[in-house]
Amino acid sequence: MTPERKEAVVSEIVRGTPSTYPAWFSARKRSKPLIVSRRVPILLVGLPVLVLLAIVIYPTIWMFYHSLRDTNINHLFSGEHASVGLENYRTVLSSERFHDSLWHLALYLFFGACLQVLLGTLLALIIYEYLKSNLARALILILLVLPMMLPPSIVGTLWRFLLTPSNGAINQALLDLGIISSHIEWFNAGVSLWSIIIADVWNWTALPLLIVYSGRVSLPPAVYEAARVDGAGQWKVLRRITLPMLKEVIAIAFILRFTDAFKFVDLVYVMTSGGPAQSSELPTYIAFQRGIREFAIGEAAAYAIIIFAISAIIVTLFLKYMKRVMKAQGLA
Amino acid sequence: MANITIEGLCKGWDFPVIDDLSVEIEEGEFFVVVGPSGIGKTTLLRLIAGLESADRGRILLGEREVTHLPPYRRRVAMTFESYALYPHLTVFENISSPLRARKKDRATIERRVKAVAQLLRIDHLLDRKPGQVSGGQKQRTALGRTLVADPEVFLLDEPISHLDAKIRQDLRMQFHTLEELRRVATLYVTHDYAEALSLGDRIGVMGNGGKLVQIGSARELFERPKALFVAEHLGQPTINAIPSILQEENGSLFACAENAALRLALSPQQSQRLNGGAKRRIVLGLRPQHVRPADELRGRDSEIDAQIDIFEALGSNGIIITKAGGVTITGLTHPERHFEPGQDLRLAIDTEALHIFDAETGLSLLEEPRWQG
Repeated sequence: MTPERKEAVVSEIVRGTPSTYPAWFSARKRSKPLIVSRRVPILLVGLPVLVLLAIVIYPTIWMFYHSLRDTNINHLFSGEHASVGLENYRTVLSSERFHDSLWHLALYLFFGACLQVLLGTLLALIIYEYLKSNLARALILILLVLPMMLPPSIVGTLWRFLLTPSNGAINQALLDLGIISSHIEWFNAGVSLWSIIIADVWNWTALPLLIVYSGRVSLPPAVYEAARVDGAGQWKVLRRITLPMLKEVIAIAFILRFTDAFKFVDLVYVMTSGGPAQSSELPTYIAFQRGIREFAIGEAAAYAIIIFAISAIIVTLFLKYMKRVMKAQGLA
Repeated sequence: MANITIEGLCKGWDFPVIDDLSVEIEEGEFFVVVGPSGIGKTTLLRLIAGLESADRGRILLGEREVTHLPPYRRRVAMTFESYALYPHLTVFENISSPLRARKKDRATIERRVKAVAQLLRIDHLLDRKPGQVSGGQKQRTALGRTLVADPEVFLLDEPISHLDAKIRQDLRMQFHTLEELRRVATLYVTHDYAEALSLGDRIGVMGNGGKLVQIGSARELFERPKALFVAEHLGQPTINAIPSILQEENGSLFACAENAALRLALSPQQSQRLNGGAKRRIVLGLRPQHVRPADELRGRDSEIDAQIDIFEALGSNGIIITKAGGVTITGLTHPERHFEPGQDLRLAIDTEALHIFDAETGLSLLEEPRWQG
């Protein structure tokens, strides 16, 4: 037995240090821990939690509470509002105004958000496939992204101007090209929602475009070469390779545009104010109108909660889908 | 089934990569192209596959000229270094993709994929996605996709280079036994000389400028390299290359290492081949297996004094790196022997096995200079 080993065994017997450690090893602290006090983690997590509590959680609870009460301008601050149970929800769910706005939302989701993603995907793939020069790609991407950088108030005013029925640029162009024979009344009932959708598509198509384009750029080129050697045609490559491999990227584009759709107020406000005769109102716009404009806080809160529920369901479905796709590819 | 004929193939981007390359690969032949990284091996494969277009020259499969045909009309199958599996498709769908692209019926696809998967021992993985199988299994899936296509030509790009040693050995054995690969012309690209020597019916060593410096069987290339480049690229440990000058004394030739005291007598046959040429600058090529401690090798050797620098005992042999007359010479010994650094010993050198290359051109002075096979 070497002297060191002997020492270790003795030390184990005398001091109770386990001899599985070599003799030179002492259990002293090897490195200073990053967190020196137990208060640090509490502080680090606690501060953001406090901020979140103040600006997100408290207002949400406040909103939920008032969705069950008859709060309005008269007693918003005095606190004399009374409980009305689910009356606010009943009012909202049975109102024709809400039903109409849901229909408007569906139209907007389908022809606005979905169209933006489809159009963006199409443009992204065309740019990637047919523009081979990096300069040309960069230039066209910049051009297409420009609308996204304008503030909504400008976009709204701009499109109001372009779509002016009597002497607006769009009508004039369509007339000159012979596509229409008389002015389209862009801001009449039944048309004004479409005007908003057109402006929004112009404004936001670049976002899904950028997302899908970057997704396409990062697909491995070798896979495409393998497909060429296999003898797959262009259409088959698009349908069986490119689109399936871009599935989750496109899902992300959908999620972003759909979540935006539920808080879509700005263009509606600037272009039509929901009119004429509430024909271009979205649920969120009504909530804004009832709550901020008319101070029917209770009813507006009920609107908000219902919108929250709908959007949560839709986004959860998308996330579920994405998780499935990623799991299938062994990514998650 | 067809042989590959390549005539005067040229390809370059900012600089020439493949320069006037000609080679013929027989039907049923396993032809390996070996060379250092970035020399143009993959480019050669991509040219044959049709993924790149040749700047000049012709590629023929059998009698058919394919130089300007798109990849799918060439009837070639290629595995990619990165495997290039479709990540969203199962192993089955990956393997069957060339068949589906050619619109084969369901039953045929099922039968052929099953057969290939069984052959490669991945038939239990057919329902998995590439993300859920190991590297070796991915590689075999990629190989399966190539095999199932039933092409006229197989192009394999470093198919096993990125796998760990054990699986690499397994797959190498599999390449030996795969009938499919032995029926048609196969072009196999690798940077690993052992793979090349093991697998190739014939081997082409690709050197600078994308030329095949020498083409031949493993034995030919190893024993009679036509250029220093070939000798240096094949073999581990690397051949000793000693810059020397030829000197004549009493009618026989000696090779004297430049700026060093090392002096080796050449055999009469070698002297005859060199045909005089005293004062000529050469590079002496000396394979480590022809350098041994004097007590291990007998016969036709010349012996020199040396000193051990480094001794490495590997599993199957020992490597001695020695200093002899100011020149570093690597030799082999038995692994169970032991040498200390600084230890003096006599080295025996098999001068019959010496290679002699021209110092300027790097070409062998003992072999007929015959380029491009």
